[in-house]
Amino acid sequence: MVPRELFPAIAVLTVLYLVVVAFSYWGVRRTKRKIYEKDAEVKRRLYELAILKEISDRTGYSLNIQKILDVIVGSLNQFLEYSAVSYMLLEPSKIVFKADLERSVSTHFIKEIRTRMLGSLTALLGRDLADMEVEETITGAIMIDIIEEPVQSYFNIPLVIGGELVGVLTVSHTKAGLYKESEMEILYKIVNQASQAVTKLEEVVKTEQGKIAAMLESMLEGVVMTDREYHILAANPAAKFVIGYKGEGTPTIFDFIDAFKDLLDIRSKLEEAIKLDKIITVKEVFFSNKYYQIVVSPVKSNVGFTKGEILGGVIIFHDVTHEKEAEKMRNDFTSMMVHELRSPLGNIKKIGEMMRSSKVLEDKQASSEYVSMLYESSSSMLDLVNDLLDVAKLEAGKFAVEKNQENLKEILAERVKFFDTTARDVGVTFKLLMESAVPDSVAIDSKRITQVMNNLFSNAFNYTPKGGMVTALCFMHKKGASLDIEARTMLAPWITDNMSADTALIPDSVVVAVTDTGEGILTENIERLFNKFIQFSSSARDSEHKGTGLGLVIVKGIVEAHGGVIGVGSKRGTGSTFYFTLPL
Amino acid sequence: MDQAEQYKAVMSEIIAKQSIILGPDMAVARAKKVSGIEIGDKGEVISISGDPADALKRLIDTYVELSGQIVKNALGSIFIRYPEIEQMH
Repeated sequence: MVPRELFPAIAVLTVLYLVVVAFSYWGVRRTKRKIYEKDAEVKRRLYELAILKEISDRTGYSLNIQKILDVIVGSLNQFLEYSAVSYMLLEPSKIVFKADLERSVSTHFIKEIRTRMLGSLTALLGRDLADMEVEETITGAIMIDIIEEPVQSYFNIPLVIGGELVGVLTVSHTKAGLYKESEMEILYKIVNQASQAVTKLEEVVKTEQGKIAAMLESMLEGVVMTDREYHILAANPAAKFVIGYKGEGTPTIFDFIDAFKDLLDIRSKLEEAIKLDKIITVKEVFFSNKYYQIVVSPVKSNVGFTKGEILGGVIIFHDVTHEKEAEKMRNDFTSMMVHELRSPLGNIKKIGEMMRSSKVLEDKQASSEYVSMLYESSSSMLDLVNDLLDVAKLEAGKFAVEKNQENLKEILAERVKFFDTTARDVGVTFKLLMESAVPDSVAIDSKRITQVMNNLFSNAFNYTPKGGMVTALCFMHKKGASLDIEARTMLAPWITDNMSADTALIPDSVVVAVTDTGEGILTENIERLFNKFIQFSSSARDSEHKGTGLGLVIVKGIVEAHGGVIGVGSKRGTGSTFYFTLPL
Repeated sequence: MDQAEQYKAVMSEIIAKQSIILGPDMAVARAKKVSGIEIGDKGEVISISGDPADALKRLIDTYVELSGQIVKNALGSIFIRYPEIEQMH
């Protein structure tokens, strides 16, 4: 028997024991719960990692959100309990609705999900989608209409790519209050990460496409890219210009086929290039008053699994009209040059034939005349050959001048004196205006500068009618002042019309100019003055003003070799001013 | 309707709209986590403590945090009906 006096102590000990047991039980429960929660958290995290890896493995660098959703839908049962998981994707002309059933549900259940998903999309877009066609696919468990269980739990995840709503993913169940917020959030996180990955990839692709598009847009060649079925993927503005396409968007292959129908079978060339994997070049097609070189080539992939695979074709329209014109000019130039040489050569031959006769040799006066003619013909040929050699040197960049300190004023005065006879012969007033500030000594190649002056004076007298005037002018130019103002301070005539360059930019120089009161030069011909082909052609046709036509080309070369510039101002019916500068 | 009531109405409408967009389970669960608002089981705002403008901002932010700016854009039609509150946001 326990003594009565011990009862309170026993009671206290018992209470203490019970308290300790209760605390221990509570502690164990708490620890268990924590372990359970941690375990659940680890499982969720593992699922999250596993599904993200699976998305990456199965879709790779895919832009196809549907593929990504299929991966999520296919593995969601490892993580969540559900009756159905479904997604809706917005397409331009329809809505794709796909539901995967984990357990059998009724058609009413499906209809209910569909309505709620459409409601979600409508609320997000702020527009009614009732008229949109919905393409429905149901997979997984069979539907049984006798199951009358409605949707009791569900949540929607909006699918957003690049800030644009593309669809919605929905998880639903027939049981009520099933989904915990933490579980739902995991799925939100997964979907958001997948969407962000697609968004980033799309941005990269868009940037690259933008670069390619900008490159295509800026190309002078017309470029048309097609797929293997000859659908045009891209056609740049130059390509549209070739066929005169003025419509919006991209033309079709038929626009090109029809445009070239009688000239080139574009479709056959594309087929040939793609099927035989070869580049076809059509050297010359004359179309819409232009010459085109057309290249048709297969386009191959150079990356990934499809490396080497033919993806489509490309047609390049290269406008060769200018090349053709240049070729024609070269041919004309050659034939005219031959003509120019043949004429004095023919004379030499004829004189030679005549001089073989003893009668001519005995006639001293006739012999002397023939020798003079021989000299003139051979000099003419030599001048032409020298001009050609100079031009050849200029074009080869081998033209050089030998500069020495020379008295430019004396050289100019001597040339004026030389041409004074010509001036009197053609009835033209000729005067020289020399500024006193021009130094006595200037670094020039005297022979070449004489050649320049001869050419400019000769041209001036050739084109100035009787009663006209030619003025030679020499003055100092200061950078910042216009040549015409400087010339007019000397009361010298100066024609500024069509003078393109800003003469105030010319550095300090000595300026030599020749102004005539001739017929002037047409604006469109001024730019051609220094072109060897065009000028030669023009002067060869002009019987009144014969010359090699190469003179101004050489003059320009000589002036530029001195570091100077040559310029011209001209007005029809008034005359022209040619000037050149010699930097100090 | 005084301003406090207007805020309660706006927030209730926002939760209702998010219930359509995200589903009621998620929309109400997120709203219940926002401090300064007491939410009923059906998502109605029962009371607001503290600055209602701050509470509204927190409510919107909780949905934006979950599914991005697009859910905020969808709230435009609600604010049109409450121009005074719209001006403050």
